[in-house]
Amino acid sequence: MIAHQAPPILSARGIVNRFGAQEVHGHINLDVMPGEIFGIVGGSGAGKTVLLKTLLGLRRPNAGKVTFTGKKIETLRPAEKASLIGVLFQQGALFSSLTVAQNLMLPLREYTDLPLAVQERVAAMKLELAGIDADAGRKFPSELSGGMTRRVAFARALVLDPKILFLDEPTSDLDPLIADSIDHLILQLNQTLGMTIVIVTHDVNTLTAICRRVAVLVDKKVTIGTLDELMKSDQPWIHEFFHGARAAAAMRARHRSHHGNG
Amino acid sequence: MPKKYTAKDTSLHAAMREDILALQGRLDVHTLMAAARVLQEHDIKYIDLSELTALDTPGALFLCTLDENIHLSHVRPEHHALLNLIRQLELKPFPEAQEIPGWRQFIIKIGRGAADAWQNILEIITFIGRTTVVTTRAFIHPRNLRLPPLSHYIEETGIHALPIIGLMAIMISVVVGYQGVAQLRPYGSEELTVNLVAVSVLREMGVLVTAIMVSGRSGSAFAAELGMMKAREEIDALEVMGLKPMELLVVPRVIGLVIALPLLTFFADIMGLLGGAGITNALLGLSLLQYLDRVRDVVKGWDLFVGLIKAPFFAFLIATIGCMHGMKVRGSAESVGKETTSAVVQAIFVVLMLDALFSVLFEELKI
Repeated sequence: MIAHQAPPILSARGIVNRFGAQEVHGHINLDVMPGEIFGIVGGSGAGKTVLLKTLLGLRRPNAGKVTFTGKKIETLRPAEKASLIGVLFQQGALFSSLTVAQNLMLPLREYTDLPLAVQERVAAMKLELAGIDADAGRKFPSELSGGMTRRVAFARALVLDPKILFLDEPTSDLDPLIADSIDHLILQLNQTLGMTIVIVTHDVNTLTAICRRVAVLVDKKVTIGTLDELMKSDQPWIHEFFHGARAAAAMRARHRSHHGNG
Repeated sequence: MPKKYTAKDTSLHAAMREDILALQGRLDVHTLMAAARVLQEHDIKYIDLSELTALDTPGALFLCTLDENIHLSHVRPEHHALLNLIRQLELKPFPEAQEIPGWRQFIIKIGRGAADAWQNILEIITFIGRTTVVTTRAFIHPRNLRLPPLSHYIEETGIHALPIIGLMAIMISVVVGYQGVAQLRPYGSEELTVNLVAVSVLREMGVLVTAIMVSGRSGSAFAAELGMMKAREEIDALEVMGLKPMELLVVPRVIGLVIALPLLTFFADIMGLLGGAGITNALLGLSLLQYLDRVRDVVKGWDLFVGLIKAPFFAFLIATIGCMHGMKVRGSAESVGKETTSAVVQAIFVVLMLDALFSVLFEELKI
């Protein structure tokens, strides 16, 4: 249940992004509530990645501001930022010169005073949590398959137990079985740790399976609503997105599972 | 009298009553070592979690991996799910890193280095062979010779390098000129500096400076370009289309550089001689005409040729080694960087080695 009275954990106000004369985002507002799973969708080139970079403070918007728990992103101290925000980048962004274990232990080494042995145990636990056997700990990122890279990157994003986790296309280019297990992992984290999750995705399956509210980026604007509200939208792109052949199959699956759960 | 322990950031309190430890506040990654210390110092049987307000995964891991005779009590309902999640994981440590004693590592490194060097020599020879065959074939069937890329590489490796090569050549002759004047003055024969500058620039310095600069500029560029193409599967795409990467990518680069480097060398020779004119004018007061007159006297017909004849050989090796390392890239971006570095290092090494061989050859031929 989302407590709508609680202040938003992430809030973006009046975001404008421009590249030269081309405007990508025109005055976007969005709020993410603590504990919810929030989806961001949009066609290719609609500016999803730019929006994500703006939210993370990697890109300064031309206008507008981003706040986390009421504090402007630029004013967060590094340690605060690290324990608040976790990011799974699309390509994993694992540090290629470090082993898997070292990749996971880097934030622990920087921001905690745990002894090395405990750091290793925590890192191994996160790896197991993301579904990777600890035996992979001494491997280098170049020795991992695509699915494993994604999971290890997931584990690294989780290392400091962030309050809010950003996932950039977490299930793209993965086979459906792994994609399902990643969806499951996201739900599990949300339920057991109360982690807030923001997913940027193309995958209608992921969207319908786990997101409660979704922001759709179309024509420089966002439309935010629950899935059911968006289903009824008559904006052409949104209608097509949620009523296309892929979406229809995903929605059927969703209804089945909802009925199955009673 | 319950004892109180407090972690550094005061967010975790531990109260002890006999063998019960009551944790109050946050048990997280920052406070769990304080809790661990208390447990080590005291004989605890029960941990009361009723007043624990926050628990994160490292905290839960800590609670789940306690000794078997320590029991958790009054676990709050919101912490149950997390503890169960951690309990169901198969918790095992990372595999031990292989420990090899230092002296063995040292020997292994020497052995591996030697094996790699040998492998490398074989690869260079093989690739030189392949390049020679493909290049010759391109000349026999000129249809295979692609002119637009060829002219592109001549421009890229030649024309664009003119400013830097000219500058380097002038500076080298200034350096040689200064040394010449300083060393020859005590013998009263400082005018021989002209001989020194002119002959050394034409025979050695011009071509060497050019070749080393081009190794750094173009050899590395070839390795990085082909390396990125390899990493992004562009080379595989060519193969699948039935096109030959050697013919399409390597031949124009090699021929382009073989044409560009002698021209660059000639340019470097001229600039070097001009630099010599400047330095002798400044230090010895020779006018340009006097200088040119002396140069004409001391330079024998072969001197220019000795320098220029080496250029195409150097060019062939620089381009071939650059392309070879590009083709050797495997997958990652890191590998591109590594191969680019070895391309430059090996190209310069081979150029200097070949130059030494040429020196011996010309000495024997009395040229």
